[in-house]
Amino acid sequence: MHLFKGVLARIRAIVHGTRADRELDEEICFHLEQEAAKHERSGIPPGEARRRAMVAFGGVTRTREAHRDVRVVRWLADLVADARFALRSIRRTPMIASAAVITLALGIGAATAIYTVVDAVLLKPLPFPHPEQLFVIGEDNTEREWHLQVAAPANYLDWKERLPAVASIGGYADGHASTTFTGDGEPRMVTTVQVTGTFFSVLGAQPALGRTFRDEETWEGATPTAVVSSRFWRSALGGDSAAIGKSIRLNSKQFVVVGVMPSTFAYPYRDADVWLTMQWSSSAREQQSFRRAHYLRVITRLRPSVTAASADVQLQSLVRRLQQEYPETNEKMSASMVPLRAFLNGDERRPLLLLFGAVGLLLLIACANVGNLLLVRSIGKQRELSLRLALGAGHPRLVRQALTESFLLSLLGGIAGLAVGWMGVRALASTQSAELLPVQEFGIDWRVLVFLLLVTTVSALLFGIAPSLWGQRQHPANALREGSRSSSDGRRMRRWANTLAVGEVALALLLTVGAGLLVRSYAALRRVDPGFQPSGVLTVSIEMPGGRYDSTAVLTQFDRALLDRVRATPGVLNASIVSSLPLTGSGWTSDFAVRGRARDDFATEVRHREVSGDYFGTMRVPLLRGRTFTEADATSGDHVIVVNDVLARKYFHDTDPVGQQIVFDRAPDSTSKWRTIVGVVASERQLGMQIEAHDEIFAPLAQEQQGSMVLVVRTAGEPLAFVPATRRALREIDPNLAIESVQTMDDVLDTSLGRDRFLMTMLLMFASVGIVLAIVGVYGVLAQTARRRTREMGVRIALGARAAQLRWLVLAHGLKLVTAGLLIGAMLALVLTRAMQRVLFDVQANDPLTYLAVALLLAATGAAASWLPAYRASITDPAVVLRVE
Amino acid sequence: MLTTPTDVLRGTLDLLVLKTLHLERMHGWGISQRIEQISKGTLDVNQGSLYPALQRLEQRGWIDSEWRTTENNRRAKYYRLTTGGRKALGVELAMWRRYVASVELILETS
Repeated sequence: MHLFKGVLARIRAIVHGTRADRELDEEICFHLEQEAAKHERSGIPPGEARRRAMVAFGGVTRTREAHRDVRVVRWLADLVADARFALRSIRRTPMIASAAVITLALGIGAATAIYTVVDAVLLKPLPFPHPEQLFVIGEDNTEREWHLQVAAPANYLDWKERLPAVASIGGYADGHASTTFTGDGEPRMVTTVQVTGTFFSVLGAQPALGRTFRDEETWEGATPTAVVSSRFWRSALGGDSAAIGKSIRLNSKQFVVVGVMPSTFAYPYRDADVWLTMQWSSSAREQQSFRRAHYLRVITRLRPSVTAASADVQLQSLVRRLQQEYPETNEKMSASMVPLRAFLNGDERRPLLLLFGAVGLLLLIACANVGNLLLVRSIGKQRELSLRLALGAGHPRLVRQALTESFLLSLLGGIAGLAVGWMGVRALASTQSAELLPVQEFGIDWRVLVFLLLVTTVSALLFGIAPSLWGQRQHPANALREGSRSSSDGRRMRRWANTLAVGEVALALLLTVGAGLLVRSYAALRRVDPGFQPSGVLTVSIEMPGGRYDSTAVLTQFDRALLDRVRATPGVLNASIVSSLPLTGSGWTSDFAVRGRARDDFATEVRHREVSGDYFGTMRVPLLRGRTFTEADATSGDHVIVVNDVLARKYFHDTDPVGQQIVFDRAPDSTSKWRTIVGVVASERQLGMQIEAHDEIFAPLAQEQQGSMVLVVRTAGEPLAFVPATRRALREIDPNLAIESVQTMDDVLDTSLGRDRFLMTMLLMFASVGIVLAIVGVYGVLAQTARRRTREMGVRIALGARAAQLRWLVLAHGLKLVTAGLLIGAMLALVLTRAMQRVLFDVQANDPLTYLAVALLLAATGAAASWLPAYRASITDPAVVLRVE
Repeated sequence: MLTTPTDVLRGTLDLLVLKTLHLERMHGWGISQRIEQISKGTLDVNQGSLYPALQRLEQRGWIDSEWRTTENNRRAKYYRLTTGGRKALGVELAMWRRYVASVELILETS
């Protein structure tokens, strides 16, 4: 008991802070001083005066205790009593209580997870100082359907020098580049980014160690320098500060490390290991190719005083001047700018907002469900409430108890929701859809969690205390007399519960239609013929280091040796090498013109790939006309190409393209290299399953060999089983080659569908939770209704009603609720899913099949949920009912 | 004639405090002095019990408090009657008068 008191006192001090205690002490002190002073004035010596003051006061400690008691005890005692009452009452209806808690946990958890991700990706400012000043400037060309494209270096330099609005401007070579790093151990691939010397200073990024680049380092001249990521610094340079000034070897070239970036800097790629400078030669600027090759992603920081609009005015006038100064290259080129944030989010916006909307719906359902459960429960407690009122419980006290109960439920739900949210964020962060989530680490957003807790708590409170508020208007005697049969307030509450259940079904239908549309869309995507047969194909990406592999002869020899070895492996059906894989979007494009056509009759943006060996046979791309490449083509010096049938149809219509000659130029002249079409193949989708095949030209790899290539192997059986043999073959030819990645073609296809699959999975999850919640809602209402009508059922049975009739009575109520919900939900869905059209593939947002299937599914589950209470009602024993009443 | 001052009846302390604060804001010691003065020493307010009472009244919203400096430049907590307190004073006063009258009546008739 003594111990308990001490603990309680400590709790009180904590709960109620020591401020009140301090204030009281000061007050008492003042009092005693004044009292003592009064005695001193009447001539009593100070010591005695103090004593008398103390006596008159009568025990400082006791006063302090009494004061505290007034402050704390009543409040605490009430709280404890309410909490105990709430716990008891929760324990009495464990099903409803746990359903409410689970509902809250799912709603809060899912919303927290999604919001955390949306916030991290879309809402949080970029991790650079003054991100609002950062813009991307890109080149536009209506003729080639370019918008915000990468820029030509010469144009970039003009922007840099001739735009007064720009405080600083820089750029990087767009596209992942892998480079072979040769350190102490095995050679390995690192991701390198080529940047201008101003790249880091534009972003305002500070190094963790050393320095970043200087503007003059953009150009050829001094020793090439490198800035490395902290990951690379730790793994390859030993995490030693002496690494600054050290030399590293990349693709057999030496670079001096001048700086290390902090781990928070991961731009433009998450896996960027090494940043290198452009090393443009000073003579390059005058060459036309410097204005023709587009590869620089340009980022600028505007002066603080300049608005985006006025900067754009300057840009547009410069664009016009450049068009006049360099008509050959810039005639059709223009430029535009967007905030960096918007540029980076471009594609993620829509799917994330869709998820956000879906999770919002789920939260609404959760709120409605909790409200519904509590409401249904309090309908059951009407009699109890009336009884307690009659026994003299105060209204405020009843409301307070209801509040405590709702709050306790919310608290439990919130804790469970935090757990769900934490798991959800981790699951989201670990999904394969890397492009959807460019942020790697998410912290749970506490503000969000608190906000959601508030939302759900308020809804719980609202419905939790509603019955006790309604009860106020009713005289307890009336409620008691009428029992649980038909008080007007009870009817009102039931109407509310019905409405909530209908609303839940409607929202669940909306969610499920959304999920259903995505399922249909995904199924349609999977049915798309990519133009090749992916199963059984192994792909191995290899980076060819410059230096040793610079001549065509060496490369051709390498290709042949590799293919011979791989083909000799038992189980390998075919093998070939291609410059880039379909569905990945990598590759290059050019203009082209056909021999014998009018001067301005040219095409743009034709894709190019190079192949070696029997690529079309390996991928099982059908040959439609002519022939594919032969061994002789690689070495003969005749420039032959194969085109896909999209190109054939687009540019040759009914004529036979085989034998025609084309050139990769828009205005061919005497120096042009003419190429002869020898065959037409079916079209592979190059950019992804969602995107129609583009026109494409294939050339023998030997004619245009590049630094990176992909070995494609068709195998009999599981492709991954052939990885060791393939590795061995590569090592035998060149032990210093680094393998960049190994994937089956099925994986490549899966990756290209990653975003769609992710969206579909998420929405399916939300929809299933939504359905379950809606079902719980319907069930709760029906169970309550059935219980309320027990007496009526008993009487009906006694009067000879058949069980089936009684079942139908309850079932009909349930079906009415579900049908109303479905109708409302369908109308909502027809309007709202239109916003989804952009993420759908080959499915209309009002796809009747989806609506029908979803409605049937929900109707069936709704009927199932109604069945149990209906069945229970039908087996009512009239004798029992009458005895109870 | 009583020679020792009477203890303030339980429950009446609140009324006395309210009445005292009716005129002006005061600190705790001031209140105890005022009650003693006006009752000419016949009522002995247990000074220690004054503070829990003040706390109770404040919790009910009948008075509120504020730290101010006294004329002697000391910090002291001053209490003031709120509008609610003014109303409560009226009610409490009426009840007290009824109570006294009833007791009086009984004492006289019996």
